[in-house]
Amino acid sequence: MGFFVALRKELLEQWRSYRLLVVVIVFTVFGLLSPLIARFMVEFFKLLPNGEQIAQIIPPPTVADAITQYLKNLSQSGVILALLLTMGAVAQEKDKGTAAMMLVKPLARGAFLGAKFAALSLTFALSIVLAGAGAYYYTLLLFQPLPLGGWLALNGLLLLFILVYVAVTLLCSTIARSPVVAAGLAVALVALLGAVGALPGVGEYLPGRLLTWGAAVAGGGAGTGWPAAGVSLGIVVTALVGAWLLFERQEL
Amino acid sequence: MQSIQQWLPFLIPIIVLQLALMIFALIDLARRERTRGPKWLWVVIIVLGELIGPILYFVIGQEEE
Repeated sequence: MGFFVALRKELLEQWRSYRLLVVVIVFTVFGLLSPLIARFMVEFFKLLPNGEQIAQIIPPPTVADAITQYLKNLSQSGVILALLLTMGAVAQEKDKGTAAMMLVKPLARGAFLGAKFAALSLTFALSIVLAGAGAYYYTLLLFQPLPLGGWLALNGLLLLFILVYVAVTLLCSTIARSPVVAAGLAVALVALLGAVGALPGVGEYLPGRLLTWGAAVAGGGAGTGWPAAGVSLGIVVTALVGAWLLFERQEL
Repeated sequence: MQSIQQWLPFLIPIIVLQLALMIFALIDLARRERTRGPKWLWVVIIVLGELIGPILYFVIGQEEE
């Protein structure tokens, strides 16, 4: 059994377990909600007692606020969903013995892992396409049209950002025996990445930079984050190769 | 109040999507013989948990058959 058969099984599994639907709906909701929140934040404040005064000090919302909201909401929910959906990917199948069953058939372990990563990547890519289209449309209605090229670049960078967390969690899921331990490990790694990124000068080279780069590009500005993109790709490849080498040596 | 009416149409698709996710979760729950934890608790979590409720159900609550 090869990679594509395994991929088909993974996609079918994501469809049947409603996980594909969950990511698509959550992303689309946040895609639509983000420009709306940016546009009407001032109105929300007006509803509060003394809100009129607060509303007066807040500068009028701009398209940049919509982009900021979009990136904040999608990256946060993206990281959470990446962890939740990936934590059981390998650990749960080892725990239940289904991995051993699958791999009794001539399915290479690399193909097994590769299919998991590819299926999750496709799920997040599809969700980002829908969220991006929704956010683009609402931003157009509520503010002004965004530069299409920049918007596409932002969403590509957002996908890479999320895939870093998918790959790292997949590695954790391979290391751990249970999904909960995998999630714990992944959360610890995410926290470590956040702590290292807070050091002066280091953040430039970490995945978080992809988001600020995306915001700059979508806002029509310039700025580069190629080192961060390189490091992010490096993390993805290292995590996947690491998971594969480890998985090859594991007793199932 | 006028400002609220102004953005209600924008909220409709968002509410429909949230409701759809909730309904999918409830349908799956109804069809499933066993869940992790009591079924009534999952109904409460799915209905009251907004977006998070159905997500928790699909990730944690489903028990393989």
